[in-house]
Amino acid sequence: MTNSPRPLPHPSHWSAGYWQAAAERRFVVQECGDCDRPIMYPKRVCPYCLGERLNWRASAGKGEIYAVTTQLAGPPTGFADRLPYVLAVIRLDEGVQLMSNIVGDSALEARIGDRVSVDFEPAGDMVLPVFRLEKTGVSQ
Amino acid sequence: MQKARAAAVGIGEVPSGRFPERSEIEAAILACRQAILDAGMSPRDIDVVMPVGALASRHFNVDLVFSRLCEELGMLRSARMNVQVMSGGATSASMLALAEGLVASGLARNVLCVHSDAVGSLPKQAGIDLFSTTGVSEEWEAPYGHNMNAVGALASNRYMHETGTTDEEMAALCVSLRKWAELNPHAMFRTPLTIEEVLASKMVATPLRAKHCNMLADGAAAFIVARAEDASHITANPVYVRGHGSLVTHYTTSQDTDLARLGYEQAAAQAYEKAGIGPKDIQIAELYDAYPVFAMIALDGLKLCRGERAGAFVAAGETAPGGSMPMTTNGGMLSQGHTAVGGGIAVLVEAFRQLMGKAGARQVPNLVNAVETASGGTWMDSHVTILSKEH
Repeated sequence: MTNSPRPLPHPSHWSAGYWQAAAERRFVVQECGDCDRPIMYPKRVCPYCLGERLNWRASAGKGEIYAVTTQLAGPPTGFADRLPYVLAVIRLDEGVQLMSNIVGDSALEARIGDRVSVDFEPAGDMVLPVFRLEKTGVSQ
Repeated sequence: MQKARAAAVGIGEVPSGRFPERSEIEAAILACRQAILDAGMSPRDIDVVMPVGALASRHFNVDLVFSRLCEELGMLRSARMNVQVMSGGATSASMLALAEGLVASGLARNVLCVHSDAVGSLPKQAGIDLFSTTGVSEEWEAPYGHNMNAVGALASNRYMHETGTTDEEMAALCVSLRKWAELNPHAMFRTPLTIEEVLASKMVATPLRAKHCNMLADGAAAFIVARAEDASHITANPVYVRGHGSLVTHYTTSQDTDLARLGYEQAAAQAYEKAGIGPKDIQIAELYDAYPVFAMIALDGLKLCRGERAGAFVAAGETAPGGSMPMTTNGGMLSQGHTAVGGGIAVLVEAFRQLMGKAGARQVPNLVNAVETASGGTWMDSHVTILSKEH
């Protein structure tokens, strides 16, 4: 089980730009060219106006933790040798949310409201956006 | 307020747990047989069969889609339609709503709703992996290790943060369910459980410990929905469907903007309005759990705690046997066992059973109105159904 590979994304043609940017260590958020709203996760059509003119906007990849858990046991196949790992829902400064891992030395201390910024983690032949706690110097 | 258009007139259920010798089709047949006999019907009185989607075996699921139950139960050339309904754990509510619509419109007279699955007999890792793909996005979540326990953990984390609910209060909900399950011969777990035992169990996904998490089980249950005007001629104890409310709030966990409430406040408001009753008129709450936080969120959204926080209300024993708001009296998925979609079906059948006065040792006296909740996938939606002995 520990040798089973972790599942990797299989991008669609409309999400490929997101993963291509990650491979280049850039973080992007999809936006609608008609109504200008940020979209997460990347969609085939804008979920607000159904427009098809969708673009990629460079993002600083900063936000805060909305919910977080540390997985200690009973992981899905491919994650046994990653325990413990931290899963979080992150609310980006753009207002959209996504799921990711919190990584880094202090990851296990992650709490709701903590500021995080994007980093990139190779996984197989992909690169996944992950997040690190920003060093605030002030403990909450 | 709407007059009831449909009623449940018969129920059936087999015990939940690990029954490797009992096939899914056998369990389905036995549950249907009980429901038909309970309604005092013959198979040829059923004109629509609604099997729920099954997860453990594709082969069995295909049999359900292609009318095997009509053949097994003597409905050939009398049943008019066999149609699968599937919205995960929400199927109890969505199937009841569809059956109500069919009988109310005259498209059907008597609808047999049935669930059977054997996810409890899957190897442990296969069970974890199965539920790591039900409502979990392959592209956006699975690569990060998302899974069903993590859904419960993330919602618990947010809920406890916003409401101040404590670990002890979450554990008290598990204990409340177990006290009911001790009285339920169909429950998988019937030995007494204490708050201390919950809090001493292994941490799995913070803040969830092993005993905050459900156990997968094999199980089957069935019920029959008839036209409201026929119901009292079919059975002495019909249960009328008085109102539904529901709201879809996400597909992926991360897209829910209110994990501490989901859609229960909106669903409850709709259901109460349609039924023409309010929280004070409810005597029993059959709430979908799977993890303690989701029953807490439903209690809050339904406003059943007399202005208290759900956690404090549960910790005071109000939802346990003898309490003022008996809740999930079959023991829920945490104690009766998580039979996949059937976890919700079992809760709905328990609501019917209680209102029919057939709940045996755990029968709650003097019931008129019950509320039932359901949710599918990663709690993608919130369903509230008001049921009543009164038409």
